[in-house]
Amino acid sequence: MTDPLVRFSRVHKRFGTYVAVKSLDLDIQRGEFLALMGPSGCGKTTTLRMLAGLEQPTSGTITIGGKVINDVPPHRRDTPLVWQSLALFPFLNVVENVEFGLRMRGVGATERRDRAMMWLGRMDLKGFETRRIDQLSGGQRQRVALARSLVTEPEMLLLDEPLSALDAHLVIRMQGVLTRLQKDLGITFVYVTHSQSEAFSMADRVVIMGHGAIEQIGRPQEIFRGPKSRFVAEFVGRNNILGGSVTGGMMATPHGPVPVPTADGMAEIVVAADRVAVSRNRPDGTAIRATFLSEEFAGTGIICYFETPDGAEWKAQVTEAQLADLQPESGQDFWLSWDSGAVHVMRG
Amino acid sequence: MRTSRPLDVYRLVWRLPLLVWQGAFFVVPLAFLAAMTFWLVQNYRMEPAFVLTNWQKTLGRSVFWDAYWLTLGRALLAGVLASVVAFPASYTLAFRMGDSARRFALMCLVVPFFTSFLVRAYAWQVILAEGGPVNAALGTIGLGPFTMLNSGFGAMVGYLTLVLPLVVIFQTWSLAAIDRSLIEAAGNLGASPGRVLVSVILPAARTGLVLGALFAFIMTFGDFVSPFYLGGSKPPTLTILIIDTTKSGQQWPRAAVVALMMIATLFAVAAAALRAAYGGRR
Repeated sequence: MTDPLVRFSRVHKRFGTYVAVKSLDLDIQRGEFLALMGPSGCGKTTTLRMLAGLEQPTSGTITIGGKVINDVPPHRRDTPLVWQSLALFPFLNVVENVEFGLRMRGVGATERRDRAMMWLGRMDLKGFETRRIDQLSGGQRQRVALARSLVTEPEMLLLDEPLSALDAHLVIRMQGVLTRLQKDLGITFVYVTHSQSEAFSMADRVVIMGHGAIEQIGRPQEIFRGPKSRFVAEFVGRNNILGGSVTGGMMATPHGPVPVPTADGMAEIVVAADRVAVSRNRPDGTAIRATFLSEEFAGTGIICYFETPDGAEWKAQVTEAQLADLQPESGQDFWLSWDSGAVHVMRG
Repeated sequence: MRTSRPLDVYRLVWRLPLLVWQGAFFVVPLAFLAAMTFWLVQNYRMEPAFVLTNWQKTLGRSVFWDAYWLTLGRALLAGVLASVVAFPASYTLAFRMGDSARRFALMCLVVPFFTSFLVRAYAWQVILAEGGPVNAALGTIGLGPFTMLNSGFGAMVGYLTLVLPLVVIFQTWSLAAIDRSLIEAAGNLGASPGRVLVSVILPAARTGLVLGALFAFIMTFGDFVSPFYLGGSKPPTLTILIIDTTKSGQQWPRAAVVALMMIATLFAVAAAALRAAYGGRR
């Protein structure tokens, strides 16, 4: 593997007594689409802002292209960021906004106008160049912000929850625009989001952060199917978690013994909602009894919510046809079962 | 359509205070002032008439035009000076202080208004006097004594005393209202701190900065305390000319001509300033 474009080494960031990021080690490769994902307050935005020089690490080093950049002020870095609020200049028109970075770098008037117009064309904004920012729709503003950040042809682009202000249908469209753009340009995208669907649908690698530290790094599918901690399992996807002591391949649970392919000791297992089968009659093999609470339409299927006798919530994803067969009523008891292959052990 | 009538009454009621105020304290006096410029003064008494003598006698004399350009020039200078002097303080208040510290500082800026401006002008007379503390301090390093009172300098000290707090308040409000992400975005796109100031902070705060300067201009243009008590009233400003005109032979109609000229000038300057503050692009 080649040298990483960015390397965080033991980076700490404190705000007063609050630790925003602790002991962060992270490599970002050239040309990858990396998503930093986590609940609010997990340190993902602080990490991004340290990369852009908008925050100073309390300790540790950040390198870009092998050079330590801790003390390089933001305007000497080539790390354009797309703000959540977009931060377009309201006193400049569209093309003046896009030109801004080139103007600050001393590019001549004709050249910067040409380059800005090229990017406006690329972003489907031809004809909008003299519009004021407040005359644009949300999606158009989004594309102006992208053009403004990319006009200087940076090695990487930082994005801080850029789609959170858009309508749902525009979010899907902009996801497509962003992934295509990243592949075409071949540059690094570092994308901060709290949205699973955004991170998993766009990123090559996803970094899950919690309480200022990295919980897990991996390809979307790896994380989705193989969460390493309870935190990740609860944050990502729709997972059911079961914990207990394992002896001879069987875990003791409140629902009776459950086969778990791991060594003796305490362990936690995850069974994804879409791997759980629901039936009225007890099936062969492992099954637990649970009371039906409610169902929720989730686009790809229907999520049924259950409560086990020990008070834990269980989720099972079923198809519309399956739901029609089951006809569940609130308060009715069902059997939840899964194939042994569906079990993911978190403590190995 | 049926709802339009009650709605209009409703709107009118809410606008009434402003309409009454503007009518009673601005439009009616202004109309009276305008009418008065055509009146006659005979035996120290005004008589309603329609003569153009007041206009001819006032605008035909160089003393009016000297005073006019002096007053205009000083007010423009005070507007610019106050804006420049106030800016570092406003910038610090807006960007380097927390919300509560800023509120406290802005409140402190209002405190000077608790005392009459006349009293503050008297204080400057003592401070700036030939034997006052400023000259005494300069004397210890072998400078002076300087004559600071009864000069353009003295008047300017008075003007700035009058307008600086207000300009700082205007500027601070407009600077503090700038979206911080705009400033960060400018740096992120390669703008050095100096260029951030020129290319982002000044244009983003344009409205408040221009309005601050405009208020400084308006207050200075109509101030008579500073030129009278600190500026030595010679050469006279328009305000001093008004006082002189009314004192000598009860020439209220001619004073009204001067006042109308001042109002016309203020309208022109305010219109230009508002255009600069709100209109156009950049």
